[in-house]
Amino acid sequence: MMDKLKLAVFELTDCGGCALNILFLYEKLFDLLEFYEITEFHMATSLSEGSHYDVALVTGTVSSQRDLALLKEARNHSDYLIALGTCATHGSVQASVEGSIREKLKRVYGDEGNPMRALDSKPVVEYVAVDFALPGCPYDKNEVYQVLIDIAKGIEPVKKDYPVCVECKLNEYECVLVKKGLPCLGPITYGGCNAACIRSGLGCIGCRGPLPGEVNPASEYEILKDLGYDDDYIIRKFKTFARWEP
Amino acid sequence: MIIELREFTRVEGNGKAEIVVENGEVKDVRLKIVEGPRFFELLTLGRHYYDVPDLEARICAICYLSHSVASVLGIERAFGVEVSEEIQLLRELGLIGELLESHALHLYLLVAPDVFGYPDAIRMATKHGELVKEGLALKAFGNRIRELIGGREIHGINVKPGGFGRYPTVEELENIERESEALLRLARRAVRLFASLEPYGEKAEHFVATDGYLWGDKLISDENGSFHYMERIEERSLVYSFAKQSRYKGEPFFVGALPRLLLKAEMLTPTAKRLFEEHREKLVTGYVSYNNLAQAIELVYALERAGEIAKKLLDKGIKGENVPVEVKEGEGIGYVEAPRGVLIHHYLIDSEGKIAYSNIITPTALNHAMMEASLFKEARELYGEADEGALIQRLEETVRAFDPCISCSVHIVKL
Repeated sequence: MMDKLKLAVFELTDCGGCALNILFLYEKLFDLLEFYEITEFHMATSLSEGSHYDVALVTGTVSSQRDLALLKEARNHSDYLIALGTCATHGSVQASVEGSIREKLKRVYGDEGNPMRALDSKPVVEYVAVDFALPGCPYDKNEVYQVLIDIAKGIEPVKKDYPVCVECKLNEYECVLVKKGLPCLGPITYGGCNAACIRSGLGCIGCRGPLPGEVNPASEYEILKDLGYDDDYIIRKFKTFARWEP
Repeated sequence: MIIELREFTRVEGNGKAEIVVENGEVKDVRLKIVEGPRFFELLTLGRHYYDVPDLEARICAICYLSHSVASVLGIERAFGVEVSEEIQLLRELGLIGELLESHALHLYLLVAPDVFGYPDAIRMATKHGELVKEGLALKAFGNRIRELIGGREIHGINVKPGGFGRYPTVEELENIERESEALLRLARRAVRLFASLEPYGEKAEHFVATDGYLWGDKLISDENGSFHYMERIEERSLVYSFAKQSRYKGEPFFVGALPRLLLKAEMLTPTAKRLFEEHREKLVTGYVSYNNLAQAIELVYALERAGEIAKKLLDKGIKGENVPVEVKEGEGIGYVEAPRGVLIHHYLIDSEGKIAYSNIITPTALNHAMMEASLFKEARELYGEADEGALIQRLEETVRAFDPCISCSVHIVKL
């Protein structure tokens, strides 16, 4: 029997959802364990026995010196590193809080010092080179399953190249932007969530970040302006998950 | 001398503890929340109210719906919006799904390995596969409810001020009624298992909960009368932790499953109430480790209550009507029982519907002082008596009993 690949999950500062979502694979998690041995995953196991990882999943933003040290550790000891979830790929909501770290600490903790050595939250990809980036707040759990199976089989995982609108159309949902005038970022957001928000009859909030390439944020901006949303509202919406300049 | 323990495992988020030893005796214990600060209250300032519940959901994945609902309740109170019984029941159903998902994760995947002596549930599954499967079945059912009410297993956006984006169908509610009854057997077995745990940690002297079982208008405590949080709870910053620490009239206190049972036993469903009575003698001692037994009894409560709610909604027929929300200046507080205890969202909203003030206090921050007191007690008893491995194991178990949600705890602010 072939040796199993060593898999690590490293959690930096985040909501815990991207690590949790792996556990939500349920029986598919046991299918993954046919190919992988988990040697580091502190939410799920008290064992920590790795010094080299074939695949490392890193979730969260770098928000403290502790996070930065852990990220470097993960990068230095893994062959294939995946930035998992929008915090790791784009910074997500916590990186959109404006102001310097000192100012923010003062406002929140009432203290001008920084004894815990906090940093302004930034995505993993700003600090290290990654081998694959899978966004989503949270990412679709079947996507991470597929990516890990692909890697185990020696196939480079496929990047999606279409916006949320494609999945919305495939599901035959009514367009909430055109029909209801709701602020929907579906036309410019990286697909892969199966249009979860539009399934609820609500607008896409852009949690998977901008789809690079042919999308047209300027046109989305104009559509939202025509619907009566003010500049401040639109800009904040664009910037929330991915520091997205209209 | 300061003994720095490694980061806790099998808890949500990143935290560790320091034991301060002087002359061979434990003098102090510090619970260090090392998860980076996330500044959620700053994030919501100036935002339009409509987008806020979706942003607040991101505070925590395990209890995102509790954050969405607490946020929606705070916003609705600020605007003076009253929703229908149907909307209230559906929100409660969502919170029940979250309770099932969160308690099942905690009890079966994080605590049960301690009971059987394994480092994790995956390795435990080789000998206790049936038990792990039962836990996953309960967890998956909780998540299906979260998806139905919240719109997604994690970070859904379906819960909105005034109602929902999408309402469940008759068939979906029938499934909930059927499945909740079928799973009840598993939850009753969990109560037997966790009743075998021994007492450890500190005995809590004060308990705090919301006045309803899963949410309320105010807080209640072991003393008489209901109150708003700022009347009796103070927060303070610590130099060694990103989480602030709260005290009830200057004392450590306890929020969570055990406090809920002790303060609100009369609201329980029939089987849950019977199980509570059966284990009452243990539970009233207030040892924090009995929180795990209380969580198991709550699994029974949640399944019975989910069935009751589904039946009630089916009998009345789903209308699926949202209540109109009229923007006006106001102030509102949302109180919800997240699976691990009281959660508070407090907002001031301006006349344009934008957030002007925001304060969020999470259960892990409320329990922080109680956690330290419990670690101190265990460290004092075991230091010098047990080897370091056994000491660390017991301290981890003690923290785990609170089911802490460290990610939630790191952005506690007053502006």
